[in-house]
Amino acid sequence: MNVPSLQFLAAVFLLSATVICLPSVRLRQAVLALCNAGFLYLLIPNTASGFALGIFLLSGYGMARMLIKWPSYLVLSAYLIILIAVFLVIKRYEFITFYLPDVITAYELKIVGLSYILFRQIHFLVDAIQGQIETPSLWSFANYQLNLFALLSGPIQRYQDFHDQWNQLSSKPKHSFEVQAIYFRLLVGVVKMAVIATAFFALYQRSALALGQEASQLPRGIAIEHFFGILYFYPLYLYLNFSGYCDVVIAGAVLIGIRLPENFDQPYLARNVIDYWTRWHRTLGFWIRDYLFTPLYKAVAENWPERADSLAFLCYFIAFFVVGIWHGPTANFVIYGLFQAVGVSAAKLWERHIVKRRGRVGLKQYLQSYRVRIAAIVATLHFECISLLFFPTDVHTTVQMLRTVWRSLR
Amino acid sequence: MEAVREQLQEVFREVFKDPDLIIQDEMTAESIDGWDSLAHINLIIAIEKRLRVKFATAEISRLKETDANVGKMLELVARKRNPAT
Repeated sequence: MNVPSLQFLAAVFLLSATVICLPSVRLRQAVLALCNAGFLYLLIPNTASGFALGIFLLSGYGMARMLIKWPSYLVLSAYLIILIAVFLVIKRYEFITFYLPDVITAYELKIVGLSYILFRQIHFLVDAIQGQIETPSLWSFANYQLNLFALLSGPIQRYQDFHDQWNQLSSKPKHSFEVQAIYFRLLVGVVKMAVIATAFFALYQRSALALGQEASQLPRGIAIEHFFGILYFYPLYLYLNFSGYCDVVIAGAVLIGIRLPENFDQPYLARNVIDYWTRWHRTLGFWIRDYLFTPLYKAVAENWPERADSLAFLCYFIAFFVVGIWHGPTANFVIYGLFQAVGVSAAKLWERHIVKRRGRVGLKQYLQSYRVRIAAIVATLHFECISLLFFPTDVHTTVQMLRTVWRSLR
Repeated sequence: MEAVREQLQEVFREVFKDPDLIIQDEMTAESIDGWDSLAHINLIIAIEKRLRVKFATAEISRLKETDANVGKMLELVARKRNPAT
């Protein structure tokens, strides 16, 4: 079942109508839990996958309960290493499956949304050991992890946020205009995904196909046209498709009484790559900041305070390397992640350069300049468009497309 | 609370290299020059060291959210130093 499909929308409307009529929170929770289970059932391809997911989740819940009672970072670290290894095997990352015996890789395990489940689970465990989650119930944890609105592609909600809403689960809006806004957002999401994004994807595919043929040479004008096609249409498609998806699931969840966090805030108007990651796939960016970059940089700054400024760049590269491989098991995602690390590092270095030359006051004036802002937005947009050349296709195909453009321009 | 405020102010002055900085409850990351993500972590480390408290990962990020301010930070530090309050 696809998110913008008629079946999904009909199911959401039916669920919302049912939930609003139910008198107690317990009943509303039961109905939503049933829907979560039903949605998962439709997406799990075989018993082995369902079994693996069950173990994945139950082990996380059990571990969290244990860590709340007997906190041990050693135990948490060991568990996380195992959890991530299992994730890499299930997602078939070549650098790990290559070394595994056939008997393990023979199983056709496919768990939808596993990357999101993994990040939610790590957050849950870290917050549990640090006393930020008190006595979680299996009931709310399971529904948090399998919430049908966030299962496939996020947003990555925090457990505390979900738990508060789950215990109230009230879908009655305060004003009638709120209802109108929710339905309008649903409609906007569907149109963005099903109509506009689809059209941009078709345009991208047309250009990608033309440039992707081995040893092809095109007339200069056509090559330039197709280069702009792959440069601009894929980022447009990706933004409209993903933000449209988020519009649908966020609005759908509100109808049931759950407020998911926002995932986008005009990302293509970011003034640098640091700013971009607070606007694009925000819940992923914030997760990486909170559960990877901050602990990493904090450890570095505590142990080598005099070199912390320089080592921060190493932390950026590690964090964005993880962002890259989290998106997928192939080399093109690593390149995408490294592009982001270079962009973030460049933005930081540029900022330090301005502070050094013109001081904090100078930086403030620089940031307030309208012209600088426009130039920075255009530069960031193009940097992101170039990095996204590596996102939809493998490295060989991307290089092939760029070679065709180069050959045709000579 | 006032003793904690004084110590916190010293930490702010050191981290943001501004000996005249006077912290106020409503101050946010936007109102103090140089309070970016890296400076935020440096600030947290300095507070942990000086005031002998420990922040959880979730608390560190909450203290940088849009609705967070120096007052909330002060409150959290005071609570950590004296859990009974």
